Amino acid sequence: MTAAAPEVLRLDRVGKRYPMGDTVVDALVDASFTLHEGEAVAILGPSGSGKSTLMHLLGFLDSPSSGEILFEGRPVAVITERQRAQIRAEKIGFVFQAFNLLPRLTVRANVALPLSYHGSPPADADARIARALALVDMTHRAHHRPGELSGGQRQRVAIARALVNEPRILLADEPTGNLDTKTAAAILDLFKELNRLGRTIVVVTHSPEIAGHFRRQLHVLDGRVKEGGAR
Amino acid sequence: MKRLFSGVINGLIEIWGHKLRSLLTICCVMLGVASMVLTTGFMEGFFKGWEVSLQEQGGLEKITGTPSSPSERQAPLAAVSRGFTPRDARALAELVPGLEIISPEIDAVRARLTRAGKSYDGRRGGRVQGVTNAAFEINRYELESGRFFSDLDFNDHASVIVIGGSVKKALFKPGENPLGEFVEMNGQPFRVVGVLKTYERLWGDFNTLYWKNDIAFVPLATMAAKVQRSDRLTGLNFKAPDVTRLRETLDAASNVLAQTHRGIIDFDVRTNEEQLASFASTKASFVIGGSAIAGVSLLVSGIGIMNLMLASINERVREIGIRKAVGATPFNIFSQFVAEAVTLSLIGGLAGVGVAVGLIQALSAMLPPGNGPLLAPSAFVVGFAFSVTAGVLAGVYPAIQAAKLDPIEALRYE
Ligand SMILES: Nc1ncnc2c1ncn2[C@@H]1O[C@H](COP(=O)(O)OP(=O)(O)O)[C@@H](O)[C@H]1O
Ligand SMILES: [Mg+2]
Repeated sequence: MTAAAPEVLRLDRVGKRYPMGDTVVDALVDASFTLHEGEAVAILGPSGSGKSTLMHLLGFLDSPSSGEILFEGRPVAVITERQRAQIRAEKIGFVFQAFNLLPRLTVRANVALPLSYHGSPPADADARIARALALVDMTHRAHHRPGELSGGQRQRVAIARALVNEPRILLADEPTGNLDTKTAAAILDLFKELNRLGRTIVVVTHSPEIAGHFRRQLHVLDGRVKEGGAR
Repeated sequence: MKRLFSGVINGLIEIWGHKLRSLLTICCVMLGVASMVLTTGFMEGFFKGWEVSLQEQGGLEKITGTPSSPSERQAPLAAVSRGFTPRDARALAELVPGLEIISPEIDAVRARLTRAGKSYDGRRGGRVQGVTNAAFEINRYELESGRFFSDLDFNDHASVIVIGGSVKKALFKPGENPLGEFVEMNGQPFRVVGVLKTYERLWGDFNTLYWKNDIAFVPLATMAAKVQRSDRLTGLNFKAPDVTRLRETLDAASNVLAQTHRGIIDFDVRTNEEQLASFASTKASFVIGGSAIAGVSLLVSGIGIMNLMLASINERVREIGIRKAVGATPFNIFSQFVAEAVTLSLIGGLAGVGVAVGLIQALSAMLPPGNGPLLAPSAFVVGFAFSVTAGVLAGVYPAIQAAKLDPIEALRYE
């Protein structure tokens, strides 16, 4: 980890509290850490520990109940809904455990989705889509619909979609949770390759084996985030 | 523009994804638009017909003068006036500026036309009138064959007659040429010199222009000298130079007539304005009725579209979440759903206009001419505007609901 790399995301005593009937659930408590450009981070923890909650906060999909999140030094709380959507489209790629592709659109249209919002699509849209599809080796399936693909292929399409805008940061919430070991390994190699190319990557997993591939690890337990051993 | 296009394409994909449900909604809009276009079509047809028949009666510039009883106060003096005479026509021509067509008329009392055992006694108000050629002009008569009257006819009190279509039908065999033949009016022979066109504007089985056919004309002077043996006019019609000068012409004519009748008001001059007023008020109430129908259709299609959109949003919470997660703004989502609603209602609207056009053509083929609904170009505009409005109005609320969805809640939704 190089201290000289610019800061991308910083969490300052961030908490997330959900109302749950008469009581509340503290899904995240006082999380404080910083992500720098070019890092590769694995987030580990048992089911229900608050990993997804953390990822959603990192991806602006949700807002914290307490504390402050800063994106490129700016407090996220003061960013308008519109600007947040724009950052989601252009600077952050999100990969879900459940793939979350739109079943009625073709693979290509799914990948093109982030380009279709915020002004007219860039002039090199076609080239970007082609590049993203090539990167995940899905060019030959461009005109298929998600229903016609295997789980691993779907996740690769989801990754292509997350990458199409060449975002600074790629967030993946258990991207291999629904895949067999061999496919999972291939996806993981893809992430490592992307990180080597300079992208900041945060991946949630509960496999310590997989986590071992990443330079930095964060452990989440009962909503508390602890720095793991950096390799 | 490109946005709009891709919105419509997206809408089409969604519509295709829910074929049956979309079809039902499209039917809603289709019926709404079709009923609207048909209603306007019938209204247009009806009012066009009425307007034409107003024109056939001489148009709005026509002023009708008829004898009337003087007021009680003037009754003892009534004999001072000589009533309507051809001199009134001359006075009007000289003293009222701009009057070009003046038509003095003498109706024959109980005229009976006969020929070779056949007779025509003018049922349904049919009549024989003594007129000048101005009568043909003012009442818009055209000849089927022969001629109107000549100066010689007037000067010689010639026994010539121009007959209407019904008279011809009553006195002559089909295919027989009446020109040059003689008919008898109350026993006196008249030579047929002209036959008028037969006018027809059917309202169901009823010809609303029957009165233009149930008529025969002889020269004014002939009627005065040989039939009535009096030059008392039963009517004096004239035409204002244009509609804007109707009032002023009417007033001037009243003054002149009061003068020639030595101050006795034993006449009545009136315009077609009353007809026009009832035309306008009937039209207004039809427009209100039509708007009510349009409003109800709009409501029905709107409810159909809104129902479909709300159902589809419920089903697509996850999709909305995904779109937001990859960068869609609330406005992007909003426009997507409005575009879908508009696409849906546009398809319905086009289908509705198509159905209406088909029905109107079928109806005009079945109904006699002059009575069917008209296909106004405005109907297309109205149908189009209607469906877009319904789509936008009904799409806005569901679209706002969709745009408001929290991405995280939406993604959690199973
Ligand atoms: N919307 C919510 N409402 C109530 N509780 C929630 C909500 N989302 C998450 N939680 C709770 O917060 C905790 C953390 O959940 P989550 O972040 O999904 O865990 P993980 O991804 O590590 O399995 C869990 O106890 C879960 O039940
Ligand atoms: Mg999770």
